[in-house]
Amino acid sequence: MNDMVVTIALPKGKLGQETIKLLSVAGLPVEGVSTEARQLTFGFPRESLRYIVCRPTDVPTYVEHGAADLGIVGKDTLVESGADVFELADLGFGYCRFVVAAPRRKWEEAGGSLETLLAGSRRVATKFPRVAARFFSDLGQQVEIIKLHGNIELAPHVGLADLIVDIVSTGRTLKENDLVEVKSIFQATARLIANRVSYRMHHERLQPLVEKLRWASYNLGEKRDFHILSS
Amino acid sequence: MSLNRQLQLPEGVDDFLPEAAAAKRDLEYKLLTLFQGWGYQEVVTPTFEFVEVFQAGQATGREDVLYKFIDRQGRVLALRPEMTAPIARLVATRLKREKLPLRLCYSATVFRYEDPARGRRREFHQAGVELLGASGVGADCEVVALAVEALLKAGLKEFLVGLGQVAVTKGVLAELNLPGKALARVKEAMVGKDWVRLSYLCEEYGLKGDARRCLELLFTLHGGREALRGAGPINKMKAAREHLEHLEEVLAVLERYGLGPYLFVDLGILRDFDYYTGLVFEGYTAGLGFPVLGGGRYDELLQEFGYPCPATGFAVGLERVLTVKNSLDLPPEESPTGYLVAGEDLAGVLMRARELRLTGARVELAWDLKTREEAAREAAERKLSPVWVSRGEGNE
Repeated sequence: MNDMVVTIALPKGKLGQETIKLLSVAGLPVEGVSTEARQLTFGFPRESLRYIVCRPTDVPTYVEHGAADLGIVGKDTLVESGADVFELADLGFGYCRFVVAAPRRKWEEAGGSLETLLAGSRRVATKFPRVAARFFSDLGQQVEIIKLHGNIELAPHVGLADLIVDIVSTGRTLKENDLVEVKSIFQATARLIANRVSYRMHHERLQPLVEKLRWASYNLGEKRDFHILSS
Repeated sequence: MSLNRQLQLPEGVDDFLPEAAAAKRDLEYKLLTLFQGWGYQEVVTPTFEFVEVFQAGQATGREDVLYKFIDRQGRVLALRPEMTAPIARLVATRLKREKLPLRLCYSATVFRYEDPARGRRREFHQAGVELLGASGVGADCEVVALAVEALLKAGLKEFLVGLGQVAVTKGVLAELNLPGKALARVKEAMVGKDWVRLSYLCEEYGLKGDARRCLELLFTLHGGREALRGAGPINKMKAAREHLEHLEEVLAVLERYGLGPYLFVDLGILRDFDYYTGLVFEGYTAGLGFPVLGGGRYDELLQEFGYPCPATGFAVGLERVLTVKNSLDLPPEESPTGYLVAGEDLAGVLMRARELRLTGARVELAWDLKTREEAAREAAERKLSPVWVSRGEGNE
């Protein structure tokens, strides 16, 4: 069983570049691999490795079903997916935060209190309905969640929603849209995940890869000392 | 989209066409025969019961998966989400006077409101055993051995059964003396298999040295019997040591019995952590992202029904086994040969068919074929042997 081909799901988009860098530092083959090309699978028979390139939101799905043994994905996407997978390492890159944001004027009118704000505003636009629902239900607040697929900051502008739950990395987009961060929910970075059956069944084959990737993430010096709030 | 609901199925349930139904029935039969060969007697419990039966010993969150409804007297009923609780109820009531240990088995469909998009079905079939009134190495060995034999009998080629011991984890957590909130969070990280969160929690609560090493081992210890020798720091913890020794003993016996190649130890296997009390195990097979079998010791469940009694057992997911077998590209099993009986006189055709069936053959009737040639053509098409009954022949 130790010559089995290991499939690793890589995310397209903003985590793609750093992911490939990580693989390369870990000593895994990356020749010709791109997460932004038309080619979606890259095989390396000599190393018995195969990469598949997917949309970040699909990485947890591929791994949960065992179509990929390992995967690299942002904690934000992982939490939203609710997938039942092993979370094996914090890879350090792709830092972002989940926040609740509101239009500046409304926030000022509410006197800087989330409760007052929620008294009159119940519609929350987000790409992450699960994270948003959990956050507000933990607060004991009932809200109406509107699922969007992108450019969430547009929603309050046109009156589709009163609040948004979104991820921010620098906060520039919020500022440009006259939104203010009202509350931080949790912080996220890229994670190495594994299928729960595969990790147990092919432990001898996967564990060295996991160790290499962990080691590489330390060496990339991306490890920062941030406090992860309970999610 | 609700148009034509008459022609559709709700999410998460399936039809079984003849070939699939036959494969499922065959698997069910093989498993029940195996269980009976080990002395397990089949029991059948109702498809729905009072919801309280299924709430026993379960964390409150698990109730979300129940299909509940209200009867005409206003009582809440639920479709069974698994078979262990009904059997525990049965043993604690109607079988209370039976001599222990009791060996019971079942084959039944169960119902859970799960997310079909995540590879889970809402109605599925489980076949399993419960061994009640026995604890110790002997009982645990029997059940694990039977689990391995069940997967062999099911015809899986590449599979492994992983053994865990939740009592070790519980013992370590107890010895760490964490405050309530911290304990809950560490437990959640362990059950959620979230290694990253566990490391942050260790830092947050200042867990260092042996304490941290133990938690990490609970997460990572994996391998054959030799791996247990790497469990050093856990052995220093009194509340965990004896359970680790128990696990090692079980493994030693099963290795001598020849099951070593199918087994490994992984302390990270916790299953439903609050429900199980001792040895737990899961069966994995290549090509499927979910376990095909799961079980373990649940010594505290029966006392919920007023009859304290140790117990262990497991269930096989039939659909999951069949999914794997389908992907193996096994040659289709030859369907038995059969006859197509046709003729001029219907009573004669029926009689001739009965005679042939008495020999064990499969016989189909064809009542509307007019000639011997027609019957021969039809039979050839259906891969059957034609039998033509002439008028008067049946009366002989």
